Amino acid sequence: MYNILALLFKYIFIIIIYLFIFSIIRLIYLDIKGMNVVSFDNKAYIKLINRKDYLPYKIEEYYIIDKVLTLGRHGENHIVVKDPYISKEHFQIVEDEDEYYLEDLGSANGTYLNGDKIYDIVKLQDGDIIKAGQIEFLFVNRK
Amino acid sequence: MNKGILSRSPRNLLFIFQVLGLTLLLIYKGKDIDKLTLGTAVGLVLVIYLSNYILTKITSGDNYIFLITTMLVSIGIIMIYRINEGLGIKQLIWISMGIFLFFLTYFIIRKIRIWENLTYIYLIGAYILFIITFVFGDRKHGAINWVNIGQFSFQPSEIIKILLIFILSSYYSNKDRWKEIKYSSYYLMGIIYSFIMLLFLQKDLGTALVFYTIFVAIQFIYEDDRKLVLINIGLSIFFGILGYTLFDHVKIRFQSWLNPWKYIERQGYQITQSLFAIAEGGFFGKGLGLGHPDFIPVVYTDFIFSAICEEMGIFTGIGIIMLFMILVYRGFKIAIAQRNKFYRILALGISILFGVQSFIILGGVIKMIPLTGLTLPFISYGGSSILTSFIALGILQICSEEIKTKEELDEAGD
Amino acid sequence: MKQEIRRIILVLVGLCLAFLSLIVYISYFQVFKASAIKKNSYNKRLWINEEAILRGSFLDRNGKTLVYSEKKDETYVRHYLYGRLYSHIIGYSYREYGKSGLELQYNNSLLNTSENAAINELKNLVSPTTEGNNIKLTIDHDLQSKARELLRGKKGSIVAMNPNNGEIYAMVSLPDFDVNSLKEDWKTITEDPNSPLVNRATQGLYAPGSVFKVVTAAAFLEKENLDTAYECTGSVNVGGYEFSDYNNKAHGKLDLKGALVSSCNTYFATKSVEVGKETLGDMAEKFMFNNRIPFDLPVKNSQFPYKGFLDKTELAAASIGQGKVLVTPLNMAMVASGIANGGQIVKPILVKEVLSKEGKTIRTNTTEILSMATDPIKANLIKEMMVETVNSGTGTKARIKNVKVAGKTGTAETASGKSHAWFIGFAPADDPKVAVAVVLEEDDSTGGSSAAPIARDIMLHAINNIKE
Repeated sequence: MYNILALLFKYIFIIIIYLFIFSIIRLIYLDIKGMNVVSFDNKAYIKLINRKDYLPYKIEEYYIIDKVLTLGRHGENHIVVKDPYISKEHFQIVEDEDEYYLEDLGSANGTYLNGDKIYDIVKLQDGDIIKAGQIEFLFVNRK
Repeated sequence: MNKGILSRSPRNLLFIFQVLGLTLLLIYKGKDIDKLTLGTAVGLVLVIYLSNYILTKITSGDNYIFLITTMLVSIGIIMIYRINEGLGIKQLIWISMGIFLFFLTYFIIRKIRIWENLTYIYLIGAYILFIITFVFGDRKHGAINWVNIGQFSFQPSEIIKILLIFILSSYYSNKDRWKEIKYSSYYLMGIIYSFIMLLFLQKDLGTALVFYTIFVAIQFIYEDDRKLVLINIGLSIFFGILGYTLFDHVKIRFQSWLNPWKYIERQGYQITQSLFAIAEGGFFGKGLGLGHPDFIPVVYTDFIFSAICEEMGIFTGIGIIMLFMILVYRGFKIAIAQRNKFYRILALGISILFGVQSFIILGGVIKMIPLTGLTLPFISYGGSSILTSFIALGILQICSEEIKTKEELDEAGD
Repeated sequence: MKQEIRRIILVLVGLCLAFLSLIVYISYFQVFKASAIKKNSYNKRLWINEEAILRGSFLDRNGKTLVYSEKKDETYVRHYLYGRLYSHIIGYSYREYGKSGLELQYNNSLLNTSENAAINELKNLVSPTTEGNNIKLTIDHDLQSKARELLRGKKGSIVAMNPNNGEIYAMVSLPDFDVNSLKEDWKTITEDPNSPLVNRATQGLYAPGSVFKVVTAAAFLEKENLDTAYECTGSVNVGGYEFSDYNNKAHGKLDLKGALVSSCNTYFATKSVEVGKETLGDMAEKFMFNNRIPFDLPVKNSQFPYKGFLDKTELAAASIGQGKVLVTPLNMAMVASGIANGGQIVKPILVKEVLSKEGKTIRTNTTEILSMATDPIKANLIKEMMVETVNSGTGTKARIKNVKVAGKTGTAETASGKSHAWFIGFAPADDPKVAVAVVLEEDDSTGGSSAAPIARDIMLHAINNIKE
């Protein structure tokens, strides 16, 4: 009879709504950690462009560049990426006299800047896209 | 991809929710559902699922806001269809058009880049719409809100709302340009106040309040001349008290908020019926179809939340409040992350719009604050409300992406 | 930049707090306010559910139908066969005017629903209710009619009950109103300065006057070393106020019995000071003064204020049922019952049983002893005094041929100047079958002359016709 069905469904609806809410909150929570890192002062930083939850490993959304920022599979890097397409030491960004430089560290699959594979040290401009393996970063330098 | 995440993914949960709701409604209505409606409903479910999916692919920005609003829309339409089939079908159409407008707005704003400089056009547009309202408008429920064109009626104030946000954004993002005009901030305030006065004359107190709140919030954040903010707040208190003493219809609202039981037959009728419905629902609701939303006046628009609480429970009501809260939070987060000042203020304005409007109407129907006639975004029935909400959402979606400046675009040779 | 972000976050926090407050408020509303709000008569849902159910009938103790509902088209029509007679006891049940009397108090039984909404929901799923239960009253219809007849033209109340088990045989309050013409007469009824809607038996508070002396006498008996001898000179000064007897008559030498029989004010006024307010007050409370009387209809508490300051004059006045003492007619009937029942005060009962449509008993109201006001020996002493009152004292108009009647008269002075006429009593004195309380409001006559004859007729009818 309809009444029993409606009675049952009202609980089901509520359960689904709250599952929905909590799954969204869970996803958002992953973002919050990234937000605290951002400071809009004179530091430069790189921002992850990929959808973070589609990447099978833990990675932050923002990384501030101090003097040096390294990325690679090895645990000693600033950004550790456990991806088979990433080399143990993949690339690094170095700051020198308020300018930032990107250098590929002899990676197997290469580092790409705005779509082009780099072979030398390249100076980075605000808005550049750095790609390694399937990961893409936006380089931001507000100065 | 992790299978576990998939089954718990909000997109799938939403799908399940919609399917279950559809099934229940089918059983409820029995054999009376016609094929066309069923088809449209199924179509909409699929469209929503696809849209949520596609969005993850084509945008680098936020995915959650569309998810949240489609959940809100689903709850709303299940309730509206249950109460009145005809309106339910119309709402289906509005939602479909809304989603279309969402994507349209998204692409248009993405491509065309002139928005920050059109301040005067926005102003003129707003005043023209006001004139149209006064000249052609009809009085409904005590407020001159609606303009009829043939078969369709729409609310110009909804469009002016969006224009307001554009006005504020284009003003505060181009401060250098406006600084040249002396006292420009005062002029701005004067203009916004004129909007509010016009709305007050229309007896549309709810929208006036929304306009005011958006303005004062943006002004609080961006106005360099801090004393203007204080003047603003001071003026509003002054006008508020003035309005209360001078105008009966303001006084009535306050009286029926404080003690609706005394005026239960006339002014207090709406709010008390709303309270009865909410009280009868309990925490889990009476069950879809087992309550009496037909006892609630204006149930399709202002009091849709009460009907939802009656049949689906306070827990659903709280769920809706939480969804709005998350939506507003996401909007703010989008704003903060946006580097481009114009789009940042735009995002803020829209988030505040959603937040304030939903808070005012929700607070009003549960008698936490005095009642004002406003629609609950995405949930209430109404073409103007749904369409403008989706347009605003489209704008918000754009704001969540990286906006390359003109120079960067030219460089990239786009 | 940083300042901008700070302000933005401030606004965000403000909005989030606003939403949280919504959640808190709506939860608070649901938990604390909702159940009371639901019961408002403007909530049509209350009625929608009710109108689908055949509301139960009211029957008198002999099974005579007094009120019933009948199906007409899609809904039910309620027939009040005796619109005036039971207007206070049974009351009415209308959508526009709400419910009153037993229609209100026993609403759930009449509809066969439960107080608890959850239980109702489950019940409706399994087997939806379509029929309510019937209510059998303790009232004897003939006696009720006779009582009203006797009171006709006056204002006041009559309560007749069984002193042993508390069953109310008749309860009349005048002026009354016609339940059947409630809609047409609503304005007149609500604006009538004589308040016909009020059930004077349970809600009327009157100065008892001399009928209170029964309680005072019981208090005096409690004081062991009290010198019961007295010389009445017709008036006495207590605490600065002059108390006098009716017509200033001097009764001469009296003991307690003589004082009660002739209703000598000065006796009680003087001796009450000796006995003290504690003893008198405690006794009054044993007779249910200041206490809530559990009953099928709401009853106002009778008042004997002695906990605070009470000077000699006030105490003396209280001892003769004046001053601040106020009592409901029902309470006075219970006082009479108490004396009749060996000092035991039993709970008054209006609803004998709740029966299902098929006749099966669902609930019975059983006798309950509320208090032991005094012991059987002292009660017997007072009973003898009350018998003598009817034989040769102020209550001779209550005499019944061949039946020993116990009683006490009262003429209570009021602020308006028009006295209430009281009579309480029971019969047959040695094996009491019925106890009564009669009050004629502001009748400006004495209890002995106007109230006593009414009580007599009631008791006679009850003895001859009512089977226990």
